Amino acid sequence: MEQHSGRTFVAALAFATSMLWGSAASAQTTIKIGIGTQDTTTNTVTTGVVIRQLKLFEKYLPTGGKYANSKFELEWNNFTSGPPVTNGMMANKLQFGAMGDYPLIVNGFTFQSNPESKSRLIAVAAYNQYGSGNGLVVHKDSPYYELSDLKGKLVSVPFGSAAHGMVLKALQDRGWPADYFQLVSQSPEVGSTNLQEKKIDAHADFVPFAELLPFRGFARKIFDGVETNQPTWHGVVVRTDFAEKYPEVVVAYIKAVIEANAWFRADPKAASEKIQEWTGINKEVVYIFLGPGGNMITDPTIKPFLVEDAVEDAKVLQRLGRMKEFDVAKWVDDSYVRKAYADLNLDYDAQLKKIENYEVKGEDKFCNKPVTDPRKAGEVWVDGEGIMPFSSTACTLGAYAQFKSASKKINMAYVFDTARGIKLFADQAFYAIGSDKKDISPFLLKKDAEALAAKNGGKVVGFDEALKMAVSGG
Amino acid sequence: MERAVLKLAEPPMSGGEEPVVPAPQAATAAAEASPPMRWFLTRAVRWFALHRQQLRTLLIGAISLALFLLSWHLLTKYRVSFHVRFVNVPSPAQVFESFTRAVDDVKFMQHVLLSCRRILFGFIMAAVVAIPLGLVMGRFRLIRDIVFPVSEVLRPIPAIAWVPMSIMLWPSNEESIVFITFLGSFFPILLNTLHGMAAVDPVLVRASQCLGAREISIFKDVYFPASLPSIFTGLTVGMGVAWVSLIAAEMISGQFGIGYFTWEAYSLVQYADIALGMICIGVLGLGSSAAIRGIGRLVMPWGRA
Repeated sequence: MEQHSGRTFVAALAFATSMLWGSAASAQTTIKIGIGTQDTTTNTVTTGVVIRQLKLFEKYLPTGGKYANSKFELEWNNFTSGPPVTNGMMANKLQFGAMGDYPLIVNGFTFQSNPESKSRLIAVAAYNQYGSGNGLVVHKDSPYYELSDLKGKLVSVPFGSAAHGMVLKALQDRGWPADYFQLVSQSPEVGSTNLQEKKIDAHADFVPFAELLPFRGFARKIFDGVETNQPTWHGVVVRTDFAEKYPEVVVAYIKAVIEANAWFRADPKAASEKIQEWTGINKEVVYIFLGPGGNMITDPTIKPFLVEDAVEDAKVLQRLGRMKEFDVAKWVDDSYVRKAYADLNLDYDAQLKKIENYEVKGEDKFCNKPVTDPRKAGEVWVDGEGIMPFSSTACTLGAYAQFKSASKKINMAYVFDTARGIKLFADQAFYAIGSDKKDISPFLLKKDAEALAAKNGGKVVGFDEALKMAVSGG
Repeated sequence: MERAVLKLAEPPMSGGEEPVVPAPQAATAAAEASPPMRWFLTRAVRWFALHRQQLRTLLIGAISLALFLLSWHLLTKYRVSFHVRFVNVPSPAQVFESFTRAVDDVKFMQHVLLSCRRILFGFIMAAVVAIPLGLVMGRFRLIRDIVFPVSEVLRPIPAIAWVPMSIMLWPSNEESIVFITFLGSFFPILLNTLHGMAAVDPVLVRASQCLGAREISIFKDVYFPASLPSIFTGLTVGMGVAWVSLIAAEMISGQFGIGYFTWEAYSLVQYADIALGMICIGVLGLGSSAAIRGIGRLVMPWGRA
């Protein structure tokens, strides 16, 4: 009996406290902000996981004025592709969403029929003006070295993704029919496993899979989006009902993106390591995308050529019968990103015109000269010691060999494609060796390397042999 | 004479809840008509009387489906948003539009047929493996003790979690897909067979043993018929679960199947097509379960299923 009344008292007390607490909290309005991110899609990390982990959004959220009595509740949701983000946004569970170019357009189009809200493109996460980032990989033991080798073969790609756009463009550029490949739709997860098991002949995918799968050791990239010469990019969309009600919050988000980008560039090595910890994508892969001279440029400004690209993408989707009319110009809204730049005393228009990445720089300690031509340079990442720049491919390979003979653990070495300037994993590249055995030119594609070798009477070798030549020649 | 026939026909009809009221009146009306007409009317009346209960079920079913459609239509038309939000849910008309487009498309039929084939293969294999296994497990304690823990661990694993393993296990994608539908049907069939075996009256078994029946005859003539109703329950449930696992299975396929159709519609955020795929799976599931029940009635005329 005694025990029973005691329990009742405690329950009553708990109830009363909860009532009190509840009424105190209701004096404040809670603004819920749902953000849909793609943590594993490396080029969107500075619009998602970095902001989340460093609490940058919280840092810039407005406090005074009409927000004096507001409490913000941030809810981060992570997905592996864009469509689930769009779905969450349509259901008003998410207000912000980050995704690739094609899914963004599908997002804008889907929102056209939403009576409550539309969506607007408010910032760019990262881009590559030539289309690098998307790529097509084959199994490393397969006999395929270029797209034409895949005629009639089974190629999978996530339909409706940026990589799907790349494949369609590649077919169109070559004047090949739509059924040149046996094209099927597979999500990155399914496609990766299928490629590993050799169930499909090739898999085309968006960031980071075309680099990640070769890095994991079972795939080889034979086509890079760079060959389509059509930009690829990721961006951020927001629900208009939310943005019109809380424009300051949208501006705060973009400020957080700007700071996240600066954070990465300040120390790319440490940032890559952090992102590996947060997303599970290997740091060497993160670095090839977002590091200096990397394949993605982080920049929130909405460049006119990216908008033009969006118009092209919309046309592709219309031709496929996936979409009806869609007004891209109306969908793009740069007012928030402009406001964020103005608030931070940054020059938006100057940044808008700039289409350049930060580059590899520093002092080459192997050949003892400074790095002058960053897209001919290279880097070696020695475990525990850091990432060291080298002025040329020969110097990079020479240094690599030296580190190796000193039995240091090397995480990765990077070189640049001689023809296209894209950053490569050194151990995946093909090397054209000049007849004097001194000139070493790395290439992504075997055919490019062979073309150069044929021209100057040299030969094409793999990484291990190139390493030997670099030692004997240097 | 006619009434006698009706009376005779009555009992097997359906538990005989109410007497057949309209029959006598109709019969007199028929008596006034010309002979062939009369013959026809008599037949019609008799058929009607015989199938009264089924017709009623059919009618109520149709009304309930119509009500479902109507409420769906109204909820989406007025974009009801009362905690549950229908704002962006496609309306029946939109889904019907998708349907008319799909019907014209040869590819859509291909999707449906391929899915049916996959389900059929997976289901038949599950039945062929699970029923004998369940019978043996039910009869021999040792086998049950060996198999049961493994099956209980594997049973709760959702189909979608099997996708990567399935791709790695089987040499072709088609086999991987069939394997996932197989897993879906396998466990319900196994468990129900087991349940049927446990419910067999031990007196019957002992009686047959006393009469000198050997193990094989006990299996054939006692255990199997006695657990058949449970087995058919298992088959019906198993068929349903096979369809449930279809989307997960066909994520692998990459080009065909109604599950893939639904998945692709999701990746392009086409809500009407998603709903069409869902309804298609529902209707196909309904049809296949009905087929199993029909077979069940043929196999077990004594059953009530």
